[in-house]
Amino acid sequence: MKAQLYPRLAVRGIKNNKRVFVPFILTCAGMVMMFYIIVYLAVSPALDGIIGAETLKQMFALGSWVIAVFSAVFLFYTHVFLIRRRKKEFGLYNILGMDKHNIAKVLLWETLFTAIVSVSAGLAAGIALSKFAELGMVNIMRGKVSFSFIVSPLAILRCVQIFGIIFVLLYLNSVRQIRFSSAITLLRSESAGEKPPKGNFFAGTLGLLLLTAAYIIAVKIKDPVSALAMFFVAVLMVIVGTYLVFISGSVFFCRLLKKNKSYYYKPNHFVSVSSMSYRMKRNGAGLASISILATMVLVIVSSTTCMYFGEESAVNARYPREINVYFNYDSPNSIPDLDTINNCLSENGIPAENTVYYRNASFYGIVRGSTVDLRTDRASASEASSSMRLFNIVSVDDINRALGTGETLAADEALVYTDECSLDVEELSIPQVGTFRIKKQLDRFIEGISGTLPTIILVVPDFTATVDAISHSFDFDEDFMFLIRLNYGFDTGRGVDGQTSLYRKMFLLVQEENVKESFGRYNGYSVSAREVEREDFYAVFGTLFYLGIILSIVFVLAAVLIIYYKQISEGYEDERRFEIMQKVGMTEREIRKSINSQLLTVFFLPLAFAVMHVSFAFPMIRKLLLLLSLNNSSLFAVTTGISAVAFAVFYAVVYKLTSSVYFKIVRGASQ
Amino acid sequence: MSILEVKGLEKVYVSRFGGSRAEALKNVNFSVEAGEYVAIMGESGSGKTTLLNIIAALDKPTQGEVFLDGQNMNALKESSAATFRRNNLGFVFQEFNLLDTFTIEDNIYLPLVLAGKSFKEMSGRLKPIAAQLGISDILKKYPYEVSGGQKQRAAAARAMITMPKLILADEPTGALDSRSSDELLHLFAQINASGQTIIMVTHSVKAASTAGRVLFIKDGEVFHQIYRGNDTDEQLFEKISDTLTMLATGGMRK
Repeated sequence: MKAQLYPRLAVRGIKNNKRVFVPFILTCAGMVMMFYIIVYLAVSPALDGIIGAETLKQMFALGSWVIAVFSAVFLFYTHVFLIRRRKKEFGLYNILGMDKHNIAKVLLWETLFTAIVSVSAGLAAGIALSKFAELGMVNIMRGKVSFSFIVSPLAILRCVQIFGIIFVLLYLNSVRQIRFSSAITLLRSESAGEKPPKGNFFAGTLGLLLLTAAYIIAVKIKDPVSALAMFFVAVLMVIVGTYLVFISGSVFFCRLLKKNKSYYYKPNHFVSVSSMSYRMKRNGAGLASISILATMVLVIVSSTTCMYFGEESAVNARYPREINVYFNYDSPNSIPDLDTINNCLSENGIPAENTVYYRNASFYGIVRGSTVDLRTDRASASEASSSMRLFNIVSVDDINRALGTGETLAADEALVYTDECSLDVEELSIPQVGTFRIKKQLDRFIEGISGTLPTIILVVPDFTATVDAISHSFDFDEDFMFLIRLNYGFDTGRGVDGQTSLYRKMFLLVQEENVKESFGRYNGYSVSAREVEREDFYAVFGTLFYLGIILSIVFVLAAVLIIYYKQISEGYEDERRFEIMQKVGMTEREIRKSINSQLLTVFFLPLAFAVMHVSFAFPMIRKLLLLLSLNNSSLFAVTTGISAVAFAVFYAVVYKLTSSVYFKIVRGASQ
Repeated sequence: MSILEVKGLEKVYVSRFGGSRAEALKNVNFSVEAGEYVAIMGESGSGKTTLLNIIAALDKPTQGEVFLDGQNMNALKESSAATFRRNNLGFVFQEFNLLDTFTIEDNIYLPLVLAGKSFKEMSGRLKPIAAQLGISDILKKYPYEVSGGQKQRAAAARAMITMPKLILADEPTGALDSRSSDELLHLFAQINASGQTIIMVTHSVKAASTAGRVLFIKDGEVFHQIYRGNDTDEQLFEKISDTLTMLATGGMRK
C-alpha cells in the first residue's frame, strides 16, 4: 500500500503539470532521437562503401558529443523551470507531513517515469527514423543504398548511458533544491518579492563593445586563413556580447525610454515598456539563448546548404577541365610547350579536347604603394594581414590562348587581375626586376588559378625572362614560397567511367621514365580528375550538410522549448497583473493590445539580433567558404536569405502557438 | 441628488451543470447621495463583495438595476464598461493591487495614462494628492520597497487621481496593522469631508464607525441601516456593535 503511494503521487504530479511536463518530455525524446540517429550513422556499415567513410564516421562521432553536451546543458536549464513550478506543491506536501526524504522519493519516481517515457519514445522514434536518415545520408553522398533494416544495439546502449547520466544529474539537482529550502519558502517561492532590475551600465557597454569589435573583425578581415583563426574568437565575443546586451543593456535601454516622458506615458507604451524592462533581466538570458540558437541555426543551415549546392561550381572552379595536371619546375626554361605535351598524349592514346595550358609563377609579396617587397618576413603582423598578396606571373600569350583574347603588351607593360583585393596604381615595380606600367585591369581570368587568398595576377609579355629575373632577385629559401608551375587541363568527351580510366592512365603516364622527358624535368606533379574529386566533395560537403541539418533540428527544438517555457512562465506571472489592470479600467482589448505589442517586441528582438549577427558574419563565412573553393557569393546570399526567411516564418508560427497558450493562462484568472 | 441607485438587485450563482443554485444577493435596494460616506457591513459570505463588483460593473446581476449618476450600468458593453469605470470610479482593494512592475508614481498614473492624459497634467494632479496622503517621498519607489500602509495610501491616490464620482473600497483596512488602519480611515474621512463620495465594504466595526451611514447586509439583503447623525465615532462604534450582536443572535426581526 505504502509502496505504491510514491509512484502514484509521482504520476499525479506529472499529470497535474501536463503543461510543463509534456514539452519537457517531448524535447528529451527529440534529443534522444537525434542522438540515436547520429550514433547509429557513426557506426552504420551502410557508409562503409563510401570514399572517406572513416572521416565521416569521425565527424558523426564528434557531432554526437556536441549533441550530448548541448542536451545536458539545455535540459538542466529547462529543468530548473520545471522545479520552480513544482516547489509550491512540494511545500504543501511538506506541511501536510511528508519529510524531505519522502519528497525525494516522489521526485525519484517522477524522474524515473520522465526518463523512461522520454528515452523509450526517443529511441522508438530514432529507430523508426534511422533508416530514413541513413537513406537520406547515402543519397546525399550519392552512394549505394542497402535496404536491410538494422537496429544498432551499440547506439541504444550509448543513448541509455548518456541520457541516464543526464537524468541522474537532474534528479540530484532537484533534490538539492528541495533540501535547502523550508516548507514556507517552498510554498511562497513563486510569489517571492521580485526586485526591479538595475541595468548595469558597465556590463551593457561591455556587451556592446564586444559585439562591435566582433562585427568589425568579421567585416574587416581580408584573407580566409586568418578568418578561420579569428572566427571562433568572434563567435565567442558575439555570444558573450549578446548575453551582456540582453541582460543589462536592454534594461538600460528601457530606462532611457522611460526617461522620455512623452513616449513612456502613452497607453500603448506604458505597460509594455515597464514590463519589458522588468522582465528583461530575468529573461535576458533566455532571450539571448534564443538569439544565439537562432544565429547558429541560420549560420549552419545557410553555409552547409551553400556548400552542398555550391559543390558543382566549387568542383568546376577547382578543376576547370575533366582531367587536370600540373608540374612544378625549378626554372621556367624547362617547361615544355603545348605541342610537346599534346603529341605525348596522343601517342599514348589519351584524347585531349578543349585543352587549357598556362604557366604561372607564384610567390608572396607585400604591396607598399606601387612597390612589391618580396621580403615578407620584414613586415609587421598588421602589415602582413593588410597588404600581403599572393602574386601570380602569367604570360600574355597563355592568357590569350586560354581566354581567347587578343591582348598585346609592350616590354614594360603588364595586365592585372585581382581577386579578393584591389590594386589602384599606374605602375608596379619589383626591385631588381623592373617596373611595369599597368595597361589594363582584367575582369575575368582562367578558372582554377585564383585561390583563396587576396591574389594579384600580373600578366607579363615575357614569362621566362620575368620569372628568371624574379628568381634571381632574391634568395627564395625554404621560408619563402616560389613556385613555377605548368598547368594543363583537358576534356576527354568520355563518360564518368571513361574519365576515371583515362585519369588512371594519365597518372601512370607521368611517372613513366621515357614519358617524363616530354613533360620536362619537373620536381613535383599532381593529376586530378573532376569526377573523382566530385565524389570526395560530395562525401565531405554531404556529411557537413547532413550534420548541419541534424544540429539545426536540435537547436530549433531547444529554441522552441525556451520560447514555450518563457511564454507559460510569463503567463502565470501576468495572471494577477491582468486582473488588476482590468479592475483599474483597462478593457480586454487594450490589455490584449499592450500584451501583444510587448510579446512581439520581446519575441522578435532575438530574431532581429540573430539576423544582425548573421549579416555581419556573412563576409567572414564567405571567406571561410573560399577555403573550400566556394566563391559563389550570390549562392551563399540566397541560401542565407532563404534560411532567414524560413526561420522567421517558423518562429512566427511558434510565437503564435505559444502566445495562445499564454493568453489562455492569463485569461483563466479573470474568468 | 442621489449618485448611486441600486434597485431590486439579485444575483444567483448556478453551478456549472445547473444542479445547485446559490443566492448571493436577493432584492437589494438602496441609494447613495453625492458626498456621502457609506459603509456596508456583513459577515463573510453575506454578499458584500458581490454587491461591490456589480456596482463596479465587474459582474452582472441576475435581476435588478444599478444607476450610477443616471447611467444604467447593466446596459454597458464590456469595453464601454471599462472606460466608464476608468472615468467615474476609483477602487481601493484589500490587497492593494499595485503592479509590481511600476513605481508607486506610475501605479498612480495608470488610469490617467489609459485615459490619454499628458504627463504634465498627471504630475500636476498628483502633487496635491500625494501631499495629502503623505506619500510624496516614496513616489519613485517600487511597491515591494514600501510598507502595507504606504501601499494602501498609494492605492487610494490611484483611486482619487481620476477625480471619480464614487470611490469603492473593498476591505481597505483588511491587510493593515491598526496604526496604518487608523491613518487610512482618517484619510478617508478627510477625503469625504472635501466632497468625495465613498462606499466602503468592511467587516471591521472600527472602519465602519468612521462612515456617515452604515448598511448591514445579511443573507443577501439589506437588513438594517444606521445613520451617524450627530454621533461621535465612539458612539457609532457602539451602535454598530449592538446591531451586529443582534444580527448574530438573530434577535431583531422575528
